[in-house]
Amino acid sequence: MTHPQSEHWSDYIDGELPLAEARELETHLEVCGECRRLLNELRGVVARAGALEDRPPRADLWPRVSAQIGVSRRRFVFSMPELLAAGIALMLISGGGVAFLLRDEIGAPVAWIRPEPEPVVRTVATGGGYDAAIGQLQRELAKGRGSLDSSTTRVIEEKLALIDQAILDAERAVAADPGSEYLRAHLTRSRLTKLDLLRRATELTRTIS
Amino acid sequence: MKHEDRSEPPSEVGARGGFQPSSGIGSPKPRMPTTATRGAPAQKPGAHDPNETDAVDAALAASGDAHAFERLYRRHINRVHSLVRRMMGEEAEEVTQEVLVHAWQKIGTYRGEAAFGTWLHRVAVNLVLSRRAGRRRWRDRFAENDAEAMELPSKSTVHLAGLDFESAIAALPARARQVFVLHDVEGYRHEEIATMLGVTAGTSKSQLHYARMALRETLG
Repeated sequence: MTHPQSEHWSDYIDGELPLAEARELETHLEVCGECRRLLNELRGVVARAGALEDRPPRADLWPRVSAQIGVSRRRFVFSMPELLAAGIALMLISGGGVAFLLRDEIGAPVAWIRPEPEPVVRTVATGGGYDAAIGQLQRELAKGRGSLDSSTTRVIEEKLALIDQAILDAERAVAADPGSEYLRAHLTRSRLTKLDLLRRATELTRTIS
Repeated sequence: MKHEDRSEPPSEVGARGGFQPSSGIGSPKPRMPTTATRGAPAQKPGAHDPNETDAVDAALAASGDAHAFERLYRRHINRVHSLVRRMMGEEAEEVTQEVLVHAWQKIGTYRGEAAFGTWLHRVAVNLVLSRRAGRRRWRDRFAENDAEAMELPSKSTVHLAGLDFESAIAALPARARQVFVLHDVEGYRHEEIATMLGVTAGTSKSQLHYARMALRETLG
């Protein structure tokens, strides 16, 4: 009896064999116990690989990792064009942002730091770590605002207002359809975008001052 | 190390395509973390999606928050170390440490389009492969003929009977071991492995089959 090349069995297991060849192998399997055994063994190897348990290193590596990364806090330097580009990107992330642009009060002054509205929907991005980071960055930004010129301050204020509106819109959408993975991901992205903008703006004040 | 600056690994990493045998034979589910939303069950309001948790901590870590990075470390260390250990064929804790330091340095390039775990695993794979390539270049300065080619070793070179499965994987020839880990453990496709290793997809298939045939001895 002529057996198929053994390599074909791996292709067969992985679903990478053309249909006609796969049918030939299946026909051969019906009459060849030796190849059935080989196929089962190969399938066993694949199953074992997929069921391997992960295990930790013998010792916790965090002390050594933290020693290496903790020696210096990275500094970000962002140019004004980069900051403006981030602002433009913010305008695009939400239809709510576009709607906000069309409102009459677009030119109205916006408080630099506003109390965070109670979110309509709570996800991980409203958890303690996120809220604390937002609060910390806002306080730091308030301290450093004097180092920015008025036009830069206005741009940042407008962009923060836009992203807050986008977050609010996203929260309302999730509240209306809480099972939507897309909307929840959109809400998370919106909140992370605010975090990113605050981080960039804060870094700008540090750089200037 | 051109891969390291990528903010997102290939989006279809780990997906299986092509013919699925009618007999129900198939590969295990890929272990690679997938994108943030694909295939994830619907979250109840207030429930914490691990991918979202990672995304928040990655953003905080990118702003310099070492505590957020430690949380990421705690959630991913077992997977990352297991990947590195299997790829290297030894404990290689210093390499795992290097991967994490490198991830900290590069985390600003992570944009959240893919799951953080996917990004981190790609960082680990690239670093392991770059270290291997570096060693090979160094060795080549002293050996005109690099014996380590992509040819399959003779079957007599490995004897895996009696070893447990993890030890048998570690005992495989380096290239067969890497292909096996990337394909059968991590869920990469041959085309992706071929790109990472600088070989053809056919070579990747041959190495995988060689590894599977050798590992059969451990099943008895």
